[in-house]
Amino acid sequence: MPHGVIDSPAMTSDEQLLLSRAAAGDAGALEGLMGRYSARVYRLAYGITRNQADAEEIVQDVFLQLVLKGAGFEGRSAVGSWIYRVTTNVALNKRRGKRREVETPLDDCLPTFKADGHREGPRALLVADWSQRPDAELLSGEARQILDEAIDRLPEHYRAVLILRDVEELSNEEVADIVGDSVSAVKTRLHRARMALRELLTRRLGAEAR
Amino acid sequence: MTCRDLIDVLDDYLDGRLERDEVAALERHLAECEACRAYLATYRKTRSLGARAGRVEMPDEMKTRLRRFLRERVG
Repeated sequence: MPHGVIDSPAMTSDEQLLLSRAAAGDAGALEGLMGRYSARVYRLAYGITRNQADAEEIVQDVFLQLVLKGAGFEGRSAVGSWIYRVTTNVALNKRRGKRREVETPLDDCLPTFKADGHREGPRALLVADWSQRPDAELLSGEARQILDEAIDRLPEHYRAVLILRDVEELSNEEVADIVGDSVSAVKTRLHRARMALRELLTRRLGAEAR
Repeated sequence: MTCRDLIDVLDDYLDGRLERDEVAALERHLAECEACRAYLATYRKTRSLGARAGRVEMPDEMKTRLRRFLRERVG
């Protein structure tokens, strides 16, 4: 279960202090915030854009906003939530208008069912199970390329919730707060993203498992 | 329970959010359905692979450039 890493009250007040000091020009406080958040901001920015140069610009933009707007932070949510929210917005805005031809309509990657509720499709693909392959093998070489291509094909707002939930290990409630959506909408989007990713992987890796 | 019902509640099952009777019904279906066993195994693996693939490190030189960028902009 995700453990709600951004909601501890002690951490929140400590971080609010860091944020207000950083906004007032305290270099040490800014360094403290960078130490806690730059890697997370980068992971989220890269996860949404899938581009290192874009992710770097986003990290710079986000930390600039923290300094320039941090004094106005009202503390209605945890500092961590606010930083993730700013990052998500900046990253999604940056992606807006960029080429989307690699993205796949998700409906093409979701399971389909017969009238009786059983899955339909070629039996060999339905029972293909590549899950016993070791992570080390799947995270390197050709399999890693297949995985990266599958992630690239997800729409960016699906990638955003996947990163927040599965990589940053936030709760559904925290993710919903960050992306400004309901918990049920976040759960649906996550499920569709994971199903699509599983399908894309199975089409490529499943052939080898059979 | 059908394959469609099972897939609909897969995240709740993996996150331990289902009631005991729902878990029992799901596991009865799994015992009889090879396709759903494969689906569950590959779905679970997809979740963990996606998480591991997303744990990218911010390059050290990028951190240096971030410090320089902020120094130039805000002093």
